[in-house]
Amino acid sequence: MEKTLNIKRRRPASLEKRKARAGYVFVLPFILGIVLIYLPILLDSLWFSFYNMQPGKYGTYKYVFKGFEYYRFAFTGSKDFVGNLLSGLQQLIFEVPAVIIFSLFVAVVLNQKMLGRAAFRAIFFVPVIISTGLMDSINGSDRVSSEMSGGIDDGSNQTGIISAMQVEELFRDMAIGGQLVGKVVDLVNNIYNIINYSGVQMLIFLAGLQSISDSIYEASRIDGATGWETFWKITFPMISPMILVNAVYTIIDSFTRSSNITMKYIKTVSETGPASAMYWIYFISVILIIAAVAGVASTFIFYQRKD
Amino acid sequence: MEMTNQTTTPIVTKETKKKIQVDYEGKLTVKERLMKKLSESNTWIKAGVNVLRFILMLGISFVIIYPFIARIAGSFMTYNDVIDSTVAIIPKTPTLEIYKAIIAENNYFEALKNTALLSLICALIQTLISCWIGYGIAKFKFKGNKIIMALVVFTMIVPHNALSLSMKMHFAQFDLFSVITWGNKGVFQLLLGRKLSLTNSFTPYILMSLGGLAFKNGLYIYLMRQFFKGVPDELEESAYVDGSGVFRTFFQIILPLSIPMMITIFLFSFSWQWTDEFYAGVFLPAMLGSDSKVYMMPDVYQLVYQMPQVISKEGMAGVDIYKNVIGNTAGMMIIMPLIIMYLFCQKYLVQGIERSGLVG
Repeated sequence: MEKTLNIKRRRPASLEKRKARAGYVFVLPFILGIVLIYLPILLDSLWFSFYNMQPGKYGTYKYVFKGFEYYRFAFTGSKDFVGNLLSGLQQLIFEVPAVIIFSLFVAVVLNQKMLGRAAFRAIFFVPVIISTGLMDSINGSDRVSSEMSGGIDDGSNQTGIISAMQVEELFRDMAIGGQLVGKVVDLVNNIYNIINYSGVQMLIFLAGLQSISDSIYEASRIDGATGWETFWKITFPMISPMILVNAVYTIIDSFTRSSNITMKYIKTVSETGPASAMYWIYFISVILIIAAVAGVASTFIFYQRKD
Repeated sequence: MEMTNQTTTPIVTKETKKKIQVDYEGKLTVKERLMKKLSESNTWIKAGVNVLRFILMLGISFVIIYPFIARIAGSFMTYNDVIDSTVAIIPKTPTLEIYKAIIAENNYFEALKNTALLSLICALIQTLISCWIGYGIAKFKFKGNKIIMALVVFTMIVPHNALSLSMKMHFAQFDLFSVITWGNKGVFQLLLGRKLSLTNSFTPYILMSLGGLAFKNGLYIYLMRQFFKGVPDELEESAYVDGSGVFRTFFQIILPLSIPMMITIFLFSFSWQWTDEFYAGVFLPAMLGSDSKVYMMPDVYQLVYQMPQVISKEGMAGVDIYKNVIGNTAGMMIIMPLIIMYLFCQKYLVQGIERSGLVG
């Protein structure tokens, strides 16, 4: 491979080597950071799940090896953990498609020429700047935003954006499970959170949409394609790599944010051993989900040019 | 649709050939053209779609903006206005007492100064480092390139809460190559006989940023890499042919080219550092009120529940709502500088990422 490349470009081999060396210089800060700072922190966090930490003299700690005891405890000893883990993962499964669909929809609309587009863009990207960290926890304990997401039940049926009663009446005669209807109602009532969580995704989709060449749309319009066909035959395949990127980003964002159900539960576990074990179980299950999503998505993703 | 129009009405086809003549000759009057357009069903469908789209966008914008309006309105209320159920948005007796109280009681300006300084430092370092690392991953073929990229994604996936305890212990007694549960002896312990205490200062933030490991830094590196993948190799090759080295090429050609993307990343890291509360809790853990405490924005929010204005009303009706209003006011004061920055920079945020030619 390297030889043919050299012949083609007529370049001495030493330049390739010099370039490779330069490449190491560029990634050196990251390697140093990983080895010197990140790896010890990561290892200790992993070991904490295998050790019992007991405070000793002068602020030091004694560590007693416990093996997989805390992992066993997480699954069998505390029933809450498994339930919380499952509902956290369930929340993820409903939230990710909602965020992806919403952000793709908004990005497509914001990409069209329309009245007040600049103003809408400015408003829609406000959540990018302020929906993380502190504001997320302020939102979590706030009357205004829980009004927006239908969290408060003040006795009247007017809570939330739509009333759950009406939707359930609508779906009662259809052969749809009540639980699913409940989830969909939750999602609609959660529109405030969905909007807040999809800022970066909108931005990435918008960038993807901008990179699709106008000439493709023009050609399809001349051939008589409708807007609907254009979306499914051109926009969707061209944007599909972004869908994977956004799906992975949404999963990561959703499960690392502090308002996540499982995260909240683990925070209440005071002992370090079991808490660390739970974090690692949670982490591994999310990695499995990401791998599954990436595996499924790679079958329908269309890459315009091969790397 | 436009095609069929052109074939049925000959006047329009002429327009494409010689514009001035057609304009003069058989052009329909404004009224006629309007009537013709209105008689097409297509026009009505289009107009309908446009109106629907506009209303929908307006609705979603309202959902985003309403909490701000409600919170800002609440911030000017007195206690009586807050518990008065007839007051929704506009307070009966507007007052600045909540703002004054937060500034007086919660070290607001100190927190503002510290947070602004830290966010600026972190954002600058993170932007440059992400650019540097991302360029290395995107443009150079070396052994382990893919592993480095996988590690970048890995650092993004690991939930930082899982690392919080271990991170706190490592930076409270900082040492190189030391794993606490493996005897906890590192370079500094062996050479100096002691470990360095880095907490309650900005040093941990700077170290993490320098290593490309800070909050969401993996995302920035990933975005930079995608951006550089879209930059044609010929650009650097022509510079190499002209005798420019790798690093000179980077600083003189690549860096100026990537400024739009860097602005986007700067905005991300600045604002996410600004609202960060996790790392503030880990790296600046001193108790409130102690001398070594570095006040940050999360402290302004935390202190709300200890304010005399709140404590004096403990037990009274609607005190929870009042607490909430004060908390929201603190939240608004925390993000107000960010919002002002956003108003000036939002066009760069979108432009940067639009021009980046981000590819999947």
